[in-house]
Amino acid sequence: MALSTAALSLPAFSASQPPEIELSLKTSVYKEGDVPIHRVVSGSEERYEIDIQQFYLLTPVARNWSLAFNASHETMSGASPWGTVPGIDGRPTLIMSGATIRDSRTELSVGVNRYTDNASFGIGFTHSNEDDYEADAIVLSGEWDFNNKLSTLALGLSYSDDKIEPTDALLFGRVQKEDKRSRSFSISWTQVLNKTSLLQSGLSVTKQDGYLTDPYKLRDVRPDERLEWALSLRYRKFFENPDGALHLDYRYYDDDFGVHSHTVQTAWYQNISEQFQLVPSLRYYSQREADFYLAIDDFTLPLIVNQSSDYRLSTYGAYTFGLKGIFKHNNWSVNISLDRYISNDKYALSDAQFKHPALLDFSLMSVGFDIRF
Amino acid sequence: MELYEFPFHAMGCPCELRFYADKKQTAERVAEQCIAEARRFEYKYSRYLEDSVTTHINHSAGLRPIQIDQETHAILHYAQVCYEQSNGLFDITSGVLRKVWNQDRRSLPVDSELQSLVELVGWHKVELNDDTVYLPALGMELDFGGVVKEYVADTLTVMARSSAIEHGFVNLGGDISIIGPQVNGEPWSIGIVHPTEPDTAIAAIALSSGAITTSGGYERYFDIDNRHYSHLINPKTGWPVESLLSVSVVADKAIVAGSISSIALLNGEVDGLAWLASCDSAYLAIDCALVCHGDLVNTIEKSNALK
Repeated sequence: MALSTAALSLPAFSASQPPEIELSLKTSVYKEGDVPIHRVVSGSEERYEIDIQQFYLLTPVARNWSLAFNASHETMSGASPWGTVPGIDGRPTLIMSGATIRDSRTELSVGVNRYTDNASFGIGFTHSNEDDYEADAIVLSGEWDFNNKLSTLALGLSYSDDKIEPTDALLFGRVQKEDKRSRSFSISWTQVLNKTSLLQSGLSVTKQDGYLTDPYKLRDVRPDERLEWALSLRYRKFFENPDGALHLDYRYYDDDFGVHSHTVQTAWYQNISEQFQLVPSLRYYSQREADFYLAIDDFTLPLIVNQSSDYRLSTYGAYTFGLKGIFKHNNWSVNISLDRYISNDKYALSDAQFKHPALLDFSLMSVGFDIRF
Repeated sequence: MELYEFPFHAMGCPCELRFYADKKQTAERVAEQCIAEARRFEYKYSRYLEDSVTTHINHSAGLRPIQIDQETHAILHYAQVCYEQSNGLFDITSGVLRKVWNQDRRSLPVDSELQSLVELVGWHKVELNDDTVYLPALGMELDFGGVVKEYVADTLTVMARSSAIEHGFVNLGGDISIIGPQVNGEPWSIGIVHPTEPDTAIAAIALSSGAITTSGGYERYFDIDNRHYSHLINPKTGWPVESLLSVSVVADKAIVAGSISSIALLNGEVDGLAWLASCDSAYLAIDCALVCHGDLVNTIEKSNALK
């Protein structure tokens, strides 16, 4: 009746609403563009294609407790760069793997959350498995509200333990069994600025140690420790007219490999009708190369000297153009998104000696379905 | 697990918390928080304190709108729904009528005396926005008394539960909100005061969850010319209502139970019973002839039979 309904909007009850069951399914296709054939000396120019299936379930288990379950499965195929040698023009040319790398990865995670009026605490475990890689991680998180819930402090701690067992290790003289560990800490403060805007700033620090080298590369030697840190700022502002919200994010990243990067991302959430929302987005990324990055592998250097020709450690910049449509009806929603990523050394804020021939372009298409009950 | 009891006094009435807890310190810590929260509401909405939200709003009547926070807005919005659902009988602006109907009253008021006050009553005149409220005429007053005590009972219940208290209840001057059943799973037995013999219980209601509130015209009244007048005033006429003697309502939340029982009393005897029958909540109504009505009557017989 009307009185009971009206009572629900009182603050004491809005905080203690039993959480709903939420179920999501998502399927995505990720496809990398081929590498230019004239920059490949051996192997296949066809790069990765990955099919991703995701399942997510969030359910209340007792008063103030919830359980989340996540499963994803990826199947990938395609070739990856093994190294670079000088081409006839003196510029780096790729040695690619054969075309038939096929692998699949399964990840399962489970998390428990406890809520109180002004705080929530969570613990989660993740296990991920593929032919040549196995990872276990534990995550602890806490969130506290202050100032009548206008401010939120969030802390996170995680630890992961990864095991690497490259395929065909004996055949190609790769390492047979290695491991690495990673610990990270994050802290963020979210402040509601006024009725329509909020600002979040965050810091995260990650320490990795163990085998950080790419075992599939012909010559790749990296330090066995890496300290990474990142600073982020996120701003959200809702505009009553034209009924949309601006998301503006910036992130600065730095590590002791010598890599540092800037990321700026903006998205506009436009409500078209009660049921339909359209989200165009643009992301810009610029990275400076690692101290030991070499455009062309140097096989004359002793194995104790760090070097890597991994394009992910090179100087480059990238743009991502995205468009997402969200259709809501009653307690379910469908979303379709399309992202196009292009990267080039010319997009970077700093100059690179050579363009890495393996710099990526990719497309990502996803279809997702959510239901709450 | 032990049962701990914490009696205290707030909002003009005796109150009590009863919690089962493993440790005394746990129960004490939660009780301290709950009592502090009750005091916060008391100070925030008191009519008597200079610095309360209520006083600010009332002192600005006819002058200017007053900024209010989200909690106050939510409570006022709830009061507005009560006003609409009761066809204007439940009106938190009706407190000014106390100027005529108070304990010092020895003779009946004349119509002109009432009329000038009735003009200051009427929730429909109040301008309520998301963050402001304005009483448009000098002399108008808001009184949160009719909703806040019940809402505090609910708030303390939510608070205790979120501090891991699973068995116990909150009792604010007879408005009782259950945190959870007794530790052995048995319901709590809630006594209903006899409307004419205030020291005895007319019934015991078994309750494991939800809330029960009781109100009655017997609580406060005036005797003028050898006639009983209840403190419940019809805000439209300015005259006391000849109401049911006592109404107890069981609902999911104390604030809902409390407004259902208040509206039942304001409706007078016949319409009050009709109103109760139209609500989905279990109730026990006692009329002037001490006849019991409602679906909680069965519970009484059972409890009497057990004695």
